[in-house]
Amino acid sequence: MSQLGSLIRVGLKVNFGLAVLRHRLLKEKKDRWLVPLVGLAVLGVLPALYGIILLLKFLFATLQPLGQERALLTLGILAGQFFILLFGLYYIISAFYFSKDLEMLIPLPLKPYQIMASKFAVILVNEYLTVLAIVAPVLATFGVLAKRGPSFWLNAVIVYLFLPVIPLAFVSLLVVAMMRLINFSRKKDALILVGSILMIAVAMGAQLLIRNSPSRGGMEDMAAFFSSPNSLLNRIGAKFPPSIWATKALAGGWSGEGLLNLALFLGVSLGLFWFLLVMAEKLFYRGLIGIGEISGRTKALSRSEMSRRVASGRRPVRAIFSREWRIMNRTPIFLLNGVMSVLIVPAIFVLMAKAGGGRGDTAALLRLMTGAASPVAVILAAAAFMIFCGSFNGTASSTVSREGSQFWMSRVIPVSPHDQVLAKFLHSYLVTILGILTASVVLHLALGTKVIHLLPAAGLALLLGFVLTAVGMIIDLARPLLDWTNPQKAMKQNLNVLFSIIADIIILTILGFGLIRALKTGLSGTTLLAILAALLAGLSVLSLALLFRFADKRYGEIEI
Amino acid sequence: MIEISRVSKSYNKGKVKAVDDLSLVVRSGEIFGFLGPNGAGKTTTIKMIVGLLKPDAGTITVEGFDVRRDGLKSKSITSYVPDYPSIYERLTGLEYLNFIGDVYGIPKRERLERIEKWLDIFELRAAVANPIQSYSHGMKQKIVLTAALLPAPRVMVLDEPLVGLDPRAAHHLKELMREHCGQGKTLFFSTHIMEVAEKLCDRIGIIDKGRLVACGTMDELKKLDRDNQSLEGIFLELTDK
Repeated sequence: MSQLGSLIRVGLKVNFGLAVLRHRLLKEKKDRWLVPLVGLAVLGVLPALYGIILLLKFLFATLQPLGQERALLTLGILAGQFFILLFGLYYIISAFYFSKDLEMLIPLPLKPYQIMASKFAVILVNEYLTVLAIVAPVLATFGVLAKRGPSFWLNAVIVYLFLPVIPLAFVSLLVVAMMRLINFSRKKDALILVGSILMIAVAMGAQLLIRNSPSRGGMEDMAAFFSSPNSLLNRIGAKFPPSIWATKALAGGWSGEGLLNLALFLGVSLGLFWFLLVMAEKLFYRGLIGIGEISGRTKALSRSEMSRRVASGRRPVRAIFSREWRIMNRTPIFLLNGVMSVLIVPAIFVLMAKAGGGRGDTAALLRLMTGAASPVAVILAAAAFMIFCGSFNGTASSTVSREGSQFWMSRVIPVSPHDQVLAKFLHSYLVTILGILTASVVLHLALGTKVIHLLPAAGLALLLGFVLTAVGMIIDLARPLLDWTNPQKAMKQNLNVLFSIIADIIILTILGFGLIRALKTGLSGTTLLAILAALLAGLSVLSLALLFRFADKRYGEIEI
Repeated sequence: MIEISRVSKSYNKGKVKAVDDLSLVVRSGEIFGFLGPNGAGKTTTIKMIVGLLKPDAGTITVEGFDVRRDGLKSKSITSYVPDYPSIYERLTGLEYLNFIGDVYGIPKRERLERIEKWLDIFELRAAVANPIQSYSHGMKQKIVLTAALLPAPRVMVLDEPLVGLDPRAAHHLKELMREHCGQGKTLFFSTHIMEVAEKLCDRIGIIDKGRLVACGTMDELKKLDRDNQSLEGIFLELTDK
């Protein structure tokens, strides 16, 4: 096998953890319970997929009489490429400059372009999976409904395979140039934070752009949105011609127009990729110099400074709480998914709903919150919003996983599992409280929700947050992910975070159904809220007791 | 004192036997060297002593405390240094030392005194306010050693402690190991450096394929070999079967 082929093969194996997975499933016979669970998760996605297909069918039926059904393809391709652009930035920075294997690869007799091409290929495969849910249904629905022949399907496969190349190559060129020009390499954390915040800003900008488009709802307006020559879609399409070429290549099949556009799409993709490799040869290694070197101060602490900074006494819970807080907030990926997310999500949510001009589900929910309905409904809706902002992050459900290979320290220190878990609980719950507070402030300032409604809502959210924090921690304790090398795996790619969100949704759904049934019995609003608060208080005590018991058992079992 | 009694540990549901019916006593005031080829069961044994792994069978006690039943008591008198210094990279050296001081409950005066002493010996004073992620491998090893010494433990368990240390730091470590045992405390460590084991240890245990193949003072081990050769020769002969 060629050098590049071997590099890509190894890269893919490492990325998807294939060798480890095979060893765990077949040799160690661990994690087998995951197989049916993953199957179940796939089944769980089916209703959502069905919903997307129904929506696409509706759009197709609306656009076809106007002869504008192609707009559906452009939309799918644009959405896919936009997603790739958005997520690609972080993937590219991490893979090209901060992956751990670079130190091992650079001394090997390989050319810079080979290393970069292999990294690019691994990201490409990742992106195929990322956009699968967005682009594949569009292509398949169009192909079936428009009754297209083999030429469409073959072109569709080619377009799909080349879809991520242009946005990825574009981002790569940007990153390679940036790393060469700016000495960012020594400020890895700053680079990741700035990149991520930039991504969020771009996503919010795009949301606002789409929400503020002239369309005002209704089927005819929607058709106009897609078909009018000045529509947003055409405007973006005009500025980003590859999406139009890909559309024409798909719609045209093997006709002259189809093949010409396909050639254009492939030509530009390959051209950009080739240009990236040429630039890699010139710039890649130069940008890499100094990576991983972090310089600190070299002046020794004076005796008085040292004395001031040295603490005293035994205070294990406080010590572990501080450790959690510091590590979480000093690791960019953890910070973004923890504290930053509970601060940003409420703001984004309200901004999106406000920008929508009062249409859609978000607006309906917010109308409920601002006091149009009964006070009980306002309080419950506000509490739901607060809990969504405070608890739907991975802080609790990655609490043990985040320790990774350093978990050995938690096992050898003379601190009981009860105290360790208490400190972790307080940390996770603090993040939840921050989310609830931010949500309250946002509701009050942006939507004018009255304080008299916010206070009981916050009380309910705090009680429910208590339960959900304990549930998230129990899930992570049951199956902590400790063998990661990239912090992204501990939070963003940790299945426990997903399981915890599913558990939270189940708990909220059960509570929701219970409330609806209770309302039908004719209970007064105040009584209902009091019963709910009492129930949640009971559940809080129960969940915390369960957490401590489970921690006692699991801390002795988790081997590292 | 560490007492290991009929301890076994296997992986892959019993297919790989890492430690097989191991019995061993390390007395107070003794430096005990634990030798063995790669994969012989050294790290597994050490991890069971400090409570990181659970034995399938047998018992381990540290100063009379069962490491499973009285885990907290045995942990409060034991310090452990792993073979690879995987520590909180996002904390500064001093924050890490304070964390250890807080969980072991070391009063300020002793804490300050010991931190200053070991930082000076290991030449870490200038770096202690920096994040650990800026440290070299050797510096990380030194800060882990400083943290292990901070509680002034009665028992120290060190896994390959000399790897990554510069000659000066290695020299200081060997001195402190002697000093530690001179105070009647116990020290158990694994190493691949035969010369160190030969010169430093009061007694040596050799483990191979999970079983203790030899244990005793250097003189006792020499008696096992008719050529009365060096520890390296004895090691090679005992582990080459």
